[in-house]
Amino acid sequence: MKQALRPVAYALLGMIGFSAIWLTGVQLRAGSDYREDPRNIRAARAPADTARGRVITADGVIVAEDDPAGGRRYPLGDRYAHIVGYDAAAGRRGVELTRFAAMRSRDDGSIQSWLLARFGADLGPPDVHLTLIDAVQEAAVAALGSQTGAVVAIDPRTGAVVAYASSPGFDPNDVVTGLVDPTDDAAQDRLLDRAGNRLLPPGSTFKVIVASAALRSGITSQTVFDDASEYVPPGGIAIHNAGGGDCITGSTITLEDALVVSCNVVFARLAVDLGARAVVSAAERSWFNRDLPWETGAAESLIPGADSLDADTAALAQSGLGERDVRATPLLMAVIAAALGNDGLAMAPYVVDSVVAPDGEILDVTAPATLDRMFPASVVDDLLTMMEQVVERGTGRSGGVPGVRIAGKTGTAEGSDGPHAWFIAVGPIEAPTIAVAVLVERGGSGGAVAAPVASAVISTWLAYES
Amino acid sequence: MTGRAEAILITIAATIAGAGVAIVSHATTGAITIDALAAFITHLAAFTGVLVAVRWWAPSATRLLLGPVALITAVGSIEVFRIDPDLGRLQRWWLILGATIAMAVLWVLRHRGLEVLRRFRYLFLAGAIGLLLLPLAPSGWPLGGATVSGSRLWVRLHLGERSLSFQPGEGAKLLLVVFLASYLADNWRGLAAMPRSLGPLRMPEPRQLLPVLIAFGVSLLVLVYQRDLGASLMLFMVFILMLFVATARPTYLVAGGLLAVGGALGSAAAFDHVAVRVSSWLHPFADFAGSGYQVAQGLFALSYSGVLGSGLGQGLPYLIPAAATDYIFVAVVEEMGLATGLAMLAAYCLVVAIGFGIALRAADSFRALLAAGLTITLAVQTILIVGGVIRLLPLTGITLPFASYGGSSLLSNMAIIALLARVSHEERA
Repeated sequence: MKQALRPVAYALLGMIGFSAIWLTGVQLRAGSDYREDPRNIRAARAPADTARGRVITADGVIVAEDDPAGGRRYPLGDRYAHIVGYDAAAGRRGVELTRFAAMRSRDDGSIQSWLLARFGADLGPPDVHLTLIDAVQEAAVAALGSQTGAVVAIDPRTGAVVAYASSPGFDPNDVVTGLVDPTDDAAQDRLLDRAGNRLLPPGSTFKVIVASAALRSGITSQTVFDDASEYVPPGGIAIHNAGGGDCITGSTITLEDALVVSCNVVFARLAVDLGARAVVSAAERSWFNRDLPWETGAAESLIPGADSLDADTAALAQSGLGERDVRATPLLMAVIAAALGNDGLAMAPYVVDSVVAPDGEILDVTAPATLDRMFPASVVDDLLTMMEQVVERGTGRSGGVPGVRIAGKTGTAEGSDGPHAWFIAVGPIEAPTIAVAVLVERGGSGGAVAAPVASAVISTWLAYES
Repeated sequence: MTGRAEAILITIAATIAGAGVAIVSHATTGAITIDALAAFITHLAAFTGVLVAVRWWAPSATRLLLGPVALITAVGSIEVFRIDPDLGRLQRWWLILGATIAMAVLWVLRHRGLEVLRRFRYLFLAGAIGLLLLPLAPSGWPLGGATVSGSRLWVRLHLGERSLSFQPGEGAKLLLVVFLASYLADNWRGLAAMPRSLGPLRMPEPRQLLPVLIAFGVSLLVLVYQRDLGASLMLFMVFILMLFVATARPTYLVAGGLLAVGGALGSAAAFDHVAVRVSSWLHPFADFAGSGYQVAQGLFALSYSGVLGSGLGQGLPYLIPAAATDYIFVAVVEEMGLATGLAMLAAYCLVVAIGFGIALRAADSFRALLAAGLTITLAVQTILIVGGVIRLLPLTGITLPFASYGGSSLLSNMAIIALLARVSHEERA
């Protein structure tokens, strides 16, 4: 009667063995889910989890790190407030939020981390390396000074963002200590990331996009237009030039000169002549009405649909000047300028270069990626040539850098409390390495207020690069 | 393996117990207390006592059994002490008492051997049924039942001001296995004969199926009156597996399986507490604050263990309800890691394999069935509770042999070890 002993023994031993496999499986498969579950209060106690890596700029400056006394600290105060953000009891923001998990120690007690450690990996908290360059960032923040606005600087070849400033700012250390309450209504203006999330009419910087539509339609930079002192679109009110009179002396003006002096009458009529469809599709190729992917999130820049502009010629004429219901973020304007510096091909903007373990192992790296073709290669040279003249002899003269060929375009957008000053620039034209967008809210004219900020940022970049 | 090796293994296990308790007391109170020394001495004394008793009264017995049992006991008692030092100190007394019971069993059987058990088989049956019914006695009686967390499987002995609680089911399982081994050894031929057929299945005479139905009835009774799913399932599985071992007829497995499935579905429909067990097994997070809480906390604890655990005194095992009893395995894994959990399961495999080895070499069918039945009891109990706490099976509240806190459990399991040793000794009887 002993023949049934063995099968029963094997079955029972097999079940104990299967329990062992199942137990291992629970830890491998579901362990991390249960670990992250907010109801698992062990997470609140696990000491290994609180250590986090540093945030470091491309030129090696530590922007955020663990405070030995507990919590996070930000050695440079408000300089990186809007992009790096903060990690405080009140919440998290910026890269401190988006890369929170990546900066934690990889030693989560799991089997994988145990095995990795056995094979010599350093599981200490990884550092986040930014593409931002402290020297350029410092110049951008200093050039903005106490003005309200934003600066974004991008390397057109890769999409790497080298400066990202918004003013007024705040000191993230104050959020950590509780001095600034991020839920306080009064703090919202300072907390707003104007670079990525402030939508204002781009003003005459938008003429670059109208000009690109014109060049695509067969018009050249030397095509001649009437130089009139006013243009009354059908059913609309009269549009005047900035100075009040004609744009230049003489009865006609080339497209190039119209861009150089930012001639409103010519571009309003040009927008109407090109038609709503051509203007809107040029804008949408430049990622208006599209969700721009961005580390910390960006607002969508806007232009009304072709059908509604088609039905409202007055609105179309004003849209050609970047007014009315056209809205852009400084970030998108910088990406557009960068596309011009990269043969019309926009690279996706990014600010986190890599995540690196303490032993130097690269855990995550951002490979430069194409965002979209914003401009046909055939129109880019003409646009850059015309925009070079803007800086050389036009409204953007204070945006230049001596000895360097810069292409730029000013904008002065109507605002209820005074005009918003814009400037976009890209250079050096021979082989562009930097694209900048500057916004100064209620600052005055783009050429007088925004262009010098761009000039300071570009010259700092060129000095850093050489 | 030599006798000396077994003594060394016991000493190592006792050292582990002492060192573990030392680490726990240092981690939780900042000082190493006398408990560490007490744990070492208790474990060493208890298992050396059993070892010596085996040498004197069952000298031919295997030398493999005590090592893994001592290890499991040591690891379990460390974690019990970690969860509640008072329970840990009580458990030391239970261990001494358990070792004494084991020695007593060996002493009683020293001259006339296991034949004694055979002669009193119906006394054992009556004793088992009496013990199973004991918790139903009114609470007011000097020896009265008590309801603990919804299940009435405790008996409280009132001694003046004091009272002593125990689970008679633990003793009953032992007596039932002894009865069944003896009964089946005499009747297995009749049960194995399959003169009738029902479709593809060969059937014995209907009256021969009576024991299966009795097994099912007793299990159901335990389930209905004591609301004890774990003991009910365990008793039923032990019955069926012993029947199968005795007859080698798969018919009993099929019939048992069908009855078990029918019983499970029926009881899930009829009894809320069974349905709740099943739903908290399938969806522990659906009612996190309620019925799923224990299972969910167990999974949380497992998720924080890793390979080497959080370290003794560093985890939060006491968050799990019944951490020192039903959930001792998860508590061990949380603080001492997957490695210790797997080592414990390996030790259980050793005990089960050694037990079946004793059964295979046993002198006659009674002894073979006795050893197999005792081993099956340990194995089924281990599988049900380990499977339950790691959410492989629905959770049934039973103790993990040798590891869980609990006097009744430790006492009956130590007696099982003594009986296994005696069967092993009588191999060539």
